[in-house]
Amino acid sequence: MSALIETLDVRKAYGEFVALDGVSLAIAEGEIVSIVGPNGAGKTTLVNLLTGLAAPTSGSVRFKGEDIAGVGPVVLARRGMARAFQLVHVFPSLTVAQTIAVAVVSRTGKAMSLLAAIGSDAAVNARVREVAEIFGLERKLHTQSRFLSQGEKKLLDIASAFALAPEVILLDEPTSGVSSADKHGLMRNVIDSARKAGVKSIILVEHDMDLVAEYSSRIVALQSGRVLADRAPADFFADPQIVAAIVGKRVGRLAKDAH
Amino acid sequence: MRTALIVAALAVLLALPSVMKPYYVTLVLPALAYAIALLGFNLLFGYAGLLSFGHALFVAIGAYGAAVLSSRMGVKSFEVILLVSAAAAVSAAIPVALLAVRYVKIFFGILTLAFSMLFHSFLFKFYDLTGGDTGIRVLRPSLLGRDFASLDKTAFLVGPFYYYCVALLVVLGFLMWRLVHSPFGLHLVASRENRRKSEYLGVRVRFIRLIAFAISAFYGAVGGVILAINTGQADPELAYWTHSGELVFMTVLGGFASFMGPLVGAFTFVFLKSELMGATQYWRFWLGAILLAIVVLFPRGLVGLGQELWARARKQ
Amino acid sequence: MTAFFDILIGGVFHAAVLFLVAAGLQLVFGVQKIVNLACGSFYALGAYFGISAVNWAIAAGMPPALFLPVLVASGLVVGMIGPAIEVLLLTVYERDEAFQLLLTFALVLMFQDILRFFWGANPQQLGDLVMSYGKVAVGAVQVPTYNVLVIGASIAIAAGLGAFLKRTRFGRILRATAENREMALALGVNVRWIYASVFTLGTMLGTVGGALVVPTAAASLDMPVELVVEAFAVVVIGGLGSMRGALAGALIVGLMRAAAISWYAELEILSIYVVVIAVLVFRPAGLFGKPAE
Repeated sequence: MSALIETLDVRKAYGEFVALDGVSLAIAEGEIVSIVGPNGAGKTTLVNLLTGLAAPTSGSVRFKGEDIAGVGPVVLARRGMARAFQLVHVFPSLTVAQTIAVAVVSRTGKAMSLLAAIGSDAAVNARVREVAEIFGLERKLHTQSRFLSQGEKKLLDIASAFALAPEVILLDEPTSGVSSADKHGLMRNVIDSARKAGVKSIILVEHDMDLVAEYSSRIVALQSGRVLADRAPADFFADPQIVAAIVGKRVGRLAKDAH
Repeated sequence: MRTALIVAALAVLLALPSVMKPYYVTLVLPALAYAIALLGFNLLFGYAGLLSFGHALFVAIGAYGAAVLSSRMGVKSFEVILLVSAAAAVSAAIPVALLAVRYVKIFFGILTLAFSMLFHSFLFKFYDLTGGDTGIRVLRPSLLGRDFASLDKTAFLVGPFYYYCVALLVVLGFLMWRLVHSPFGLHLVASRENRRKSEYLGVRVRFIRLIAFAISAFYGAVGGVILAINTGQADPELAYWTHSGELVFMTVLGGFASFMGPLVGAFTFVFLKSELMGATQYWRFWLGAILLAIVVLFPRGLVGLGQELWARARKQ
Repeated sequence: MTAFFDILIGGVFHAAVLFLVAAGLQLVFGVQKIVNLACGSFYALGAYFGISAVNWAIAAGMPPALFLPVLVASGLVVGMIGPAIEVLLLTVYERDEAFQLLLTFALVLMFQDILRFFWGANPQQLGDLVMSYGKVAVGAVQVPTYNVLVIGASIAIAAGLGAFLKRTRFGRILRATAENREMALALGVNVRWIYASVFTLGTMLGTVGGALVVPTAAASLDMPVELVVEAFAVVVIGGLGSMRGALAGALIVGLMRAAAISWYAELEILSIYVVVIAVLVFRPAGLFGKPAE
């Protein structure tokens, strides 16, 4: 399988400080890859490179075969990559429907329609409703985003990213701020929706190792700017050295499995 | 409800020349001019979230365009004057915008102020070209090819010219309405609400701001042409920064968060200023005090106030 | 050669006064993030009040030679309107910057007529008082001593401000509040008091600047709106929020103006704006500032 998105021996240095030191990573269609590692390991830098926010000091980053060094979020959104953030971003005075519509407009290339009426565009409205239903937001379609609960805002954030119909979606700690009871539900919802929406690969940045173990097809562990491990969950958690480095001592299912 | 109000207002406007003294009707002309200019200004301010403190630049370009074309180049057609002046304004807008849309907030305001003052100093100092502080005369144009030579200046202004300008306001207003309710308008508002998130959703923020800026320049110039034909003169003070300040004042007076706000603001301001000027030599003080009151007490302007009162009345 | 020195001293004198106003602007922007369009109004207020103060003092028997300290004192006194104005600003601190600009613009309009009310529409001046300080030799030229004194005063104030900001406790607290207001609040800083003090200081810099300029120029009702134009040029060239920027910008604008006036009068203010725009194209942050994007 050829890689949908990949980094080839990327190095990123900020002056003297080397954030990433030769990271090669390939993500193919159908994969759900989790990027894990302690703070300072280089996760944020890697994510910024993968999403075109920064250009590598050396090495290359490719999306669908094209170099995307530093192209920026707008271009990538149009090429088929979406990103949802840890900290929730909304458009305070726009409704749920309008928020999702922003993405749909970008996707369908209608942004330069200066005189068409967005409110009565049947195709856009249908798509907006479709996406809202996937995330259970259809009853709040005409509520302004600032009046949504924190959880609903989070869902809207992810939903609007989905509305871009991306091929790759990068989720930055999607369950942070979500109560433990809801975390699994949200993850399942997101992954199912992704499949339905035609998303081909998911990149997950997560600290919650339960979720990582449960939903990833592959785990990439970073440490000090290098790839420590790049394996399927079963192999990953079977290796006590890796577990100790990334997970530390844990009481729970993982620790029991590892032993 | 809103449609009823608009139709009523339109009817009043159309009836005015028949019922009011020409003096009052000639006051409505600048209000129409500013209403059009502010439609453009508020696209930038209310919808895109960019406060330009140099918008008078485009009004001035419109005015001087009309002046140069009519009195120095012998162009008589109002339509040609409108199009050429507006084109000049849009051409000027593009380099300014390219520079300014990199920034937001205060830096955008200062940049636009600098450009308008640059134009002002050019107009003021280069006497031979621009007439210096006296400015340039603006001659009466022909409307749709017709001269109306039998009408004297006032009759022309409160007659055919007046109705033409009302029509312009209606047409340009309609176009602006469509624009702000279009996908483009949605992206513009998204870019104002959260620039970063909108980029992640594929909004080409800088590009649409540039387009919005150019459109606002077009509207500003049309307003400037009307103003200049009304007074018969294009003068450099049209480009001074305090004139830009008045444009912002009018918009906020009416209410920048609504489509109709700027229109209400334009009419209110023109009449308010005229009444105050007639009542006291310290009219600037009172205008300033009113602006202060709006900023502190009624930030959503007259339209916002109206909406609130209406909502309260409905509850009872 | 004499012409060159004349231009130089004239330009530096103008720069000295501009620096005071710009420093006031930068302080207020740096700490409170407010761009004060009414800075020109304070400048004019200082000018008019200074003239009145000197005239009263002379009528009361003061020897004309003491007019300089009277000017400075009057500038400081009238700067005490600072706290009152700052209270008004309270209503817009947390809100969109547009409202801050509009509030200060409202003040510009109001001050226009306040000045007119108290001092009338005709320009006012101090006559030949400046000559009572005589002239002094700078290099090969005779220069009015007054100008040299003002330049010296301005340098002293610049140095004083710099030392104040860098070395005193209050100065450090000021800079901390400018960097991070929430943090300063959390650390127990009385931010209200800081804001009031900074604004008053900024106002006084403006009023003293206006007072110092009147021996050499008339006070007129055009001053408030015209000074804003130059002050903003200074601040853009130097970089918003930077004191060093205020100094550099003031020197550039002052010297350019002096050169342009004597060389090709039409170019005067135009040249300044060309420089402003060039700075914005090539170095958008100004010489010493940081733009927000």
